[in-house]
Amino acid sequence: MTIKGVSYPVATLQEYGYRDYSKFKAVVKVLKTVLFFSILFMLYLSIIVIAIQSINASRISSSFSSISLTWYPNIFQEEDLMRAIRNTFLVSSIATILATIMGTFFAVGMYSLTKKKRQGLMLLNNVPILNADIVTGFSLMLMFRLLMPLFPNIFGLFTLVMAHLFFTIPYVILSVMPKLKETDPNLMDAALDLGVRPYKALIKVVIPAIKAGIFSGMLLALTMSIDDFVISYFNTGGGFDNLSIWIYAVIGRRNLTPSVYAFSTLLTLFTLIGLMVYQFLQRQKKGRKSGIL
Amino acid sequence: MRIIGRLCDLSFCDLHNIQKKVNKTLEIVKKKSIINPCETNKKQRRTKMDKKALIELIDVTKTYDGENVVDHLNLTIYENEFVTLLGPSGCGKTTTLRMIGGFVQPDEGKIIINGKVFNDLPPYARPIHTVFQRYALFPHLSVFENVAFGLRNRTYDYLSHFFGVLEEKSDSSKKSKRDHHKLLNTMIDSAVRDALALVKLKGFENRKVDQISGGQQQRVALARALVNKPQILLLDEPLAALDLKLRQNMQYELKEMQRKLGITFIFVTHDQEEAMTMSDRIVVMKDGVIQQLGTPKSVYNEPVNRYVANFIGETNIFPGTYIKKDLVHFMGADFKCTGYTFEDGEQVEVVIRPEDFDVVDLEKAKLQGIVTFSLFKGVHNELDVKIGDVSIMVNTYETYEVGEPIGLTVDPYEIHIMKVESDGEVV
Amino acid sequence: MGKSFKILAIPYQVWLSVLVFIPLVAMVVISVTNLNSTVTLSELQFTMEHWVLLTQRPTLIAFRNSLIYAGSTTLISFVLGYFVAYQIFRLRIKNKFIVLTIVILPMWSNLILRTEALLNIFSENNILKSIMGFSLFGNIAGTPTAVLIGLVFTYMPFMILPIYTALEKIDYALEEAALDLGLTPMQSFWKVVFPLSFRGVVTGSILVFLPTMAGFAIPKILSKGRIIFIGNIIDTKFIYTNYNSGALLAVILLIFILGSILLMTRFDKEGETLL
Repeated sequence: MTIKGVSYPVATLQEYGYRDYSKFKAVVKVLKTVLFFSILFMLYLSIIVIAIQSINASRISSSFSSISLTWYPNIFQEEDLMRAIRNTFLVSSIATILATIMGTFFAVGMYSLTKKKRQGLMLLNNVPILNADIVTGFSLMLMFRLLMPLFPNIFGLFTLVMAHLFFTIPYVILSVMPKLKETDPNLMDAALDLGVRPYKALIKVVIPAIKAGIFSGMLLALTMSIDDFVISYFNTGGGFDNLSIWIYAVIGRRNLTPSVYAFSTLLTLFTLIGLMVYQFLQRQKKGRKSGIL
Repeated sequence: MRIIGRLCDLSFCDLHNIQKKVNKTLEIVKKKSIINPCETNKKQRRTKMDKKALIELIDVTKTYDGENVVDHLNLTIYENEFVTLLGPSGCGKTTTLRMIGGFVQPDEGKIIINGKVFNDLPPYARPIHTVFQRYALFPHLSVFENVAFGLRNRTYDYLSHFFGVLEEKSDSSKKSKRDHHKLLNTMIDSAVRDALALVKLKGFENRKVDQISGGQQQRVALARALVNKPQILLLDEPLAALDLKLRQNMQYELKEMQRKLGITFIFVTHDQEEAMTMSDRIVVMKDGVIQQLGTPKSVYNEPVNRYVANFIGETNIFPGTYIKKDLVHFMGADFKCTGYTFEDGEQVEVVIRPEDFDVVDLEKAKLQGIVTFSLFKGVHNELDVKIGDVSIMVNTYETYEVGEPIGLTVDPYEIHIMKVESDGEVV
Repeated sequence: MGKSFKILAIPYQVWLSVLVFIPLVAMVVISVTNLNSTVTLSELQFTMEHWVLLTQRPTLIAFRNSLIYAGSTTLISFVLGYFVAYQIFRLRIKNKFIVLTIVILPMWSNLILRTEALLNIFSENNILKSIMGFSLFGNIAGTPTAVLIGLVFTYMPFMILPIYTALEKIDYALEEAALDLGLTPMQSFWKVVFPLSFRGVVTGSILVFLPTMAGFAIPKILSKGRIIFIGNIIDTKFIYTNYNSGALLAVILLIFILGSILLMTRFDKEGETLL
């Protein structure tokens, strides 16, 4: 290499004791990309199939006849399906709202504890999350059964909501706690210093500071609740089926209505769009913040 | 002492001014890197004797988001010297350091180390090691293993050459190989212990990284780099997180270490006192361009522009007129000066350090003013003296009351004169 | 935070205690007594008769199945999942959220429906075959392979996320330090990045192992009822209201689970990689 009239040799990896793999790297990179996308494709295979089924004109799930969108409006015609959907949304909305409120307050309470106590409670908190659905579902069912002599009609909406609360509140807490930790510890003191009473300060100061965590906790709770199968399976009664249970019961039969696939695809698309809107709004907010300068 | 020092500098600055006149017509308009000619002369003399150029940065440029963070930088660094890159945040000093280390690729220009172009060589192949700003110690390893990390991951071949214990060619059986490997491992262990002793951390071998203090972590980072015997050590503001006393101690220790080991240290900081304490040479940078390159003394006493004058230590800058040779007019009075050559009647900037003012009786004083503010700083008193409309900073050993009238004068060789800057920036 | 909010935690302590301990106690009690809907409290007696179930061959086979499938799924998910997490981690795009969403999105579809879709394409005549003309998986419906594949597809995201979270937490300066000290990028991965991401690996493994071991829907659907897991036996007991032996099996599962939770909290005390 010649610079300003003086010639310099170029340093190579070899003279410093290393091997030059740069030719390899290109091939490896291609392989890596192929593998990566293959795996992602595999993960998506099932929902791709579901989407295909939802536009399959034929009711027979093993053959594709032609593209048809009839199953989408047909969702509203299927009485059983609509009932299951309604039940699911009912349970999940109640559970989510309650879980978010309760979970947030519990998290605030836990944050105020000493480290040891908090870690102990966190351990308990993790149990519903990590515990196998089947054990949770089964044991809750047993407990509710014990109460049956007192409340004969306990199984149904009530047990379902209680069971859902049980496993969603921990997720809310897990979302809110990190945000609590991130807040300035002096925030509360600042509010008190200005003469605001503790509980009012909590609502007016702390909650807005952690609202990102509350929001993501709420989303997480909703997801867990809507999609739950096993726990609901063990804890429902009186014919109160949610979507998963209904599908499980109907699955072997040849006359499974493809509207189920349509509904599922809609739900997925809806979630995807919701997330993208959320991301877009976040970016807008950030853009505005830096634009103000 | 000071007077003799000044006289020595004096003769060089005579040369400086003659050269300046000659170069004026040949002057490069771009004004990219200003190398103090005084320094160049000294350097050239020494270069011929014992200093070899180790690193050369030629026209090195790095652009981020359309802005030149490092702008056509030219710099030569020699063997066995302690160089500091000094400047505020964003001046490009850390970027330059990282480019030497190989973590950032220059967009333009070449980095020459040991006479070879190093631009494309990844950091692991360079004979350079770094002490990072937040130390970057491996949390999953003990102190000992952190320091040993570099050596442990080398091939046995490399280690044989490193320690100078080459294998006997005659006996290549498995057993002798294993013995040889054991020997190398023992040598690694003893090298690590030596390195820890060098940074005064003997006995800390088995501690976990999160069990030691910030100052100790910093030493571990230092040991970890030095045990590999690099030709060049890069230090990225390593003392920034330490408290004052610790920092001052470490400054002396680092200087000692560099002298003892004889390798080149390249230090990055924004603290000019730190730079003055430790460096053989300081590179003052701003906006990706070298403002001045020189020894601490020359940078302090002869700043080439307003920025350097203000950045290094406290200073007073006065607008003045160079009336004729050895006479300059500012603050309403004529002062004898020496060692500068400007056009008669040229507008100049006069730089006088606060400690260079001498307090004299009011009648004998060239400048008369009133003390408006006095702060006891331990070593000296910092006074604000108001003369007319202008407030100047004066450092004295004696204490003066606020409101006291005071007479000042300044010796001719303590008046430093600079050309007026065209942009007239206020720093 | 004001200490006055401590009392807010008390209802949760009560709540958790009630809903965690009472059901579990009930389960343990039922597994070792003859309590059921016909027996009154006075007739209650301690008995080990249900434990006979544990010695029966089908139960032992079910245990073996659960463990082997759970182990294999975890292993495969670990290898492939770490790869995916690492690739996402190394991506230089600004918005990783989108990529993470892509990984999680399938989880938002109904599990049963997804499994049924897999069953469809694992069968001889499947919908993809009728579109593309050939079958991706041959005819593996009802085979162990189908169950394994189905489990991996379903639970791999649970491995990817904790590993990704752990990787993101690693200070980039540490990798630079490794490079600076003479390690090639490959060496730097094994000696620095991988050890520091281990917390995520442990969490991810548990999040895959436990539901796989305790699940029953996926094996039932994909093996067409041929391969029995512990969960399937519990399910059967539930359907026939034979709660005592069902409870027993659930208790044993629970012991496994508690052990795993303790293991996980040893590595990750505040549940950071969990989310």
